[in-house]
Amino acid sequence: MEAISLENVTKSYDGVHAVNDVTLRVRRGAILGLLGPNGAGKTSTIRMIMNILVPDAGSIRVFDQPVSDETRQSIGYLPEERGLYPRMQVRAVIVFLAALRGMPEPEANRLAREWLDRFELGDWSEKQVHDLSKGMQQKVQFISAILHKPPLIILDEPFSGLDPVNVATVKDVMLEMRGQGSTVVLSTHRMEQVERLCDSICLIDKGRNILDGDLRAIKQSYGKNTIQIEFNGPDGFLSHPAVSSVNRFANGAEAKLKPGAAAQEFLKAAVQSSAQITRFDVLEPSLNDIFIEKTGHA
Amino acid sequence: MRKVWLIIKREYLTRVKTKAFVISTLIVPLAGIMLVLLIAFLISHRPQHTVRLAIVDDAGGLAPSVKHSLEHSPDSSTPQFIVTDTFDHSNTAEVERDLRSHVNSGALDAYLIVPADLTQAIELHTKNPGNFAVLAPLTAALNQALIGARLSARGIHVDDIDQIARGVDLQVIKVSQSGEAVEKGQTMGIAIGLVILLYSSLLAYGIITMRSVLEEKTTRTMEVLISSVRPFELLTGKILGVAGTAFTQFLIWIVSLGLLASYGAAMAAMFNPSSSFPAMHVPLSLLIWVACFFFGGYFLYSAMFAAVGAACSNEQDAGQLQWLAMGPLVFAISFYWLVMIDSTSTLSLVLSEIPFLAPVLMPLRLSIQAPPAWQLALSVVLLFGTIVGVIWASAKVYRVGVLMYGKRPTLPELLRWLRYS
Repeated sequence: MEAISLENVTKSYDGVHAVNDVTLRVRRGAILGLLGPNGAGKTSTIRMIMNILVPDAGSIRVFDQPVSDETRQSIGYLPEERGLYPRMQVRAVIVFLAALRGMPEPEANRLAREWLDRFELGDWSEKQVHDLSKGMQQKVQFISAILHKPPLIILDEPFSGLDPVNVATVKDVMLEMRGQGSTVVLSTHRMEQVERLCDSICLIDKGRNILDGDLRAIKQSYGKNTIQIEFNGPDGFLSHPAVSSVNRFANGAEAKLKPGAAAQEFLKAAVQSSAQITRFDVLEPSLNDIFIEKTGHA
Repeated sequence: MRKVWLIIKREYLTRVKTKAFVISTLIVPLAGIMLVLLIAFLISHRPQHTVRLAIVDDAGGLAPSVKHSLEHSPDSSTPQFIVTDTFDHSNTAEVERDLRSHVNSGALDAYLIVPADLTQAIELHTKNPGNFAVLAPLTAALNQALIGARLSARGIHVDDIDQIARGVDLQVIKVSQSGEAVEKGQTMGIAIGLVILLYSSLLAYGIITMRSVLEEKTTRTMEVLISSVRPFELLTGKILGVAGTAFTQFLIWIVSLGLLASYGAAMAAMFNPSSSFPAMHVPLSLLIWVACFFFGGYFLYSAMFAAVGAACSNEQDAGQLQWLAMGPLVFAISFYWLVMIDSTSTLSLVLSEIPFLAPVLMPLRLSIQAPPAWQLALSVVLLFGTIVGVIWASAKVYRVGVLMYGKRPTLPELLRWLRYS
């Protein structure tokens, strides 16, 4: 059974398609990365799964039920639009939101303490929300999205505004939740997080699903056509006929080979040039490369 | 229901804990205490100034009776008078110049000149012509003396004059099913007091209800909230939570002012044993009906404010539309006289059954003549049904308008949102 399934979902505002005929299935217990440039339709898709927006056409099911006020109850949601009641104590907000989702207050209180400690907010739990920094508020909001242990967690840009330490904590929590059987959907621009975290991806551009599936399978389908090379000296060998494009760095370059070209030929040319090679790696394309190739822009 | 309760609790607790609530709750009883203390101070330190008066009596014979009634006034609240001099038939320029200089030097407060022809005006010469506290008893004393003089000139004995000149007291007795009661205006007072209470509590708390509904939009918590609560539950919880805050404040005010008033009454009785407060005897059933209409009215109009909040995305827009919420209440007050003239007419019946007008007009009808129970019951049912209807419609508007940040809806859009399900 799928956690989420979208069938030919379309949503437009004033005649502009925000989401255009999107079909997508999210496997239970997986972490799905929803990728796409700004304005691609990620947030609209998420809002439709949350039953905040209603699709113009198509159907959406969550745990095999058509979306409704009831299906929302099983979802932990971190909206793109961040906000908490500014004049409430931090722990009181978390407990209030958890109680609204059906958790008994004493248990919510106990869990809130644990999570606040884990995110190093223990000393702030009696403070008012508006005394917290933006990043701290975001952590509080993340806690309130997952506290009631929902089987499905939807996080819209969970990493924005967080420092690297907290990004790592959030990532750990997601993996933990997956370990406990939860399904996680996150939208982000941060490719390196998606590569490390996600089991599958869905790439949306201009409202259309242009690529989706298992992350490893997608990368393998692109083959090992990327070469990372570090060297000292002249770089004339980079214009070898097997190379289709080059991204030059200070001490090296990333070169993309033409389809069917052998990495061996390029390495030979490099060694024969007067440059001193210090590193030569043949890689799968990065998600970033796939993203740029598919959408035509970063 | 559990969610509604959670929302009520949050609204109530976050509001009751604010400084603004504590200050505004304390300031009314404190102002009351200050007022009582001020009155007590004024009573005990009342200036004991007596008005020194001279009378120049050209008519003759009037001065002694004016002097008598001024100096033996039974009313302790009016200024005391001393008539220092009377001059009979001696209105010479000299006397008057003399008196004027006494007034100027402060030895005398005023002098009266009674003309020989009593159809002419009597003149009061004083430095302080605006002192009404002096004018009223003086006029009364002059009238009494003058009427007395005229009547005794027609051969009526002085001792009979009081008897003859006495007016009547009109006592109004209200006839109702439960028997007869002396009407001292207390039931009408309740009806008017209720409108004032309803209007002022909505003025204070209607906008708070509206802001409370806007809160999730302005703090951007709405997406999280409406992913866990239905808008109907949210709005109901907010209306009840704010109402709880309002009623807590009113209860504190009423209890503390009640205590102050009874203390004040006891103190007034101590200073002035003759004054007494009219005893209230209002039937319990009337109070229960009136309470139904007060709470119904409060909730209906808070629901209207909630509706304005639901339709707008920020406080500026809502501020421009808030007159819509209060409008029908003002409209209702303009029908007051129609019902007052004839509370049993068909027009009165129809008007008082309209939910938006009932909280104002039904208590008025109750105070004039108790309407049949079915009319009251129907009105209450319609009122509470309308409250649910208004909240339901607001919830729909809220639900659909949720993601329309920064755009005030047009009327056609609002109507379309109501149809949307």
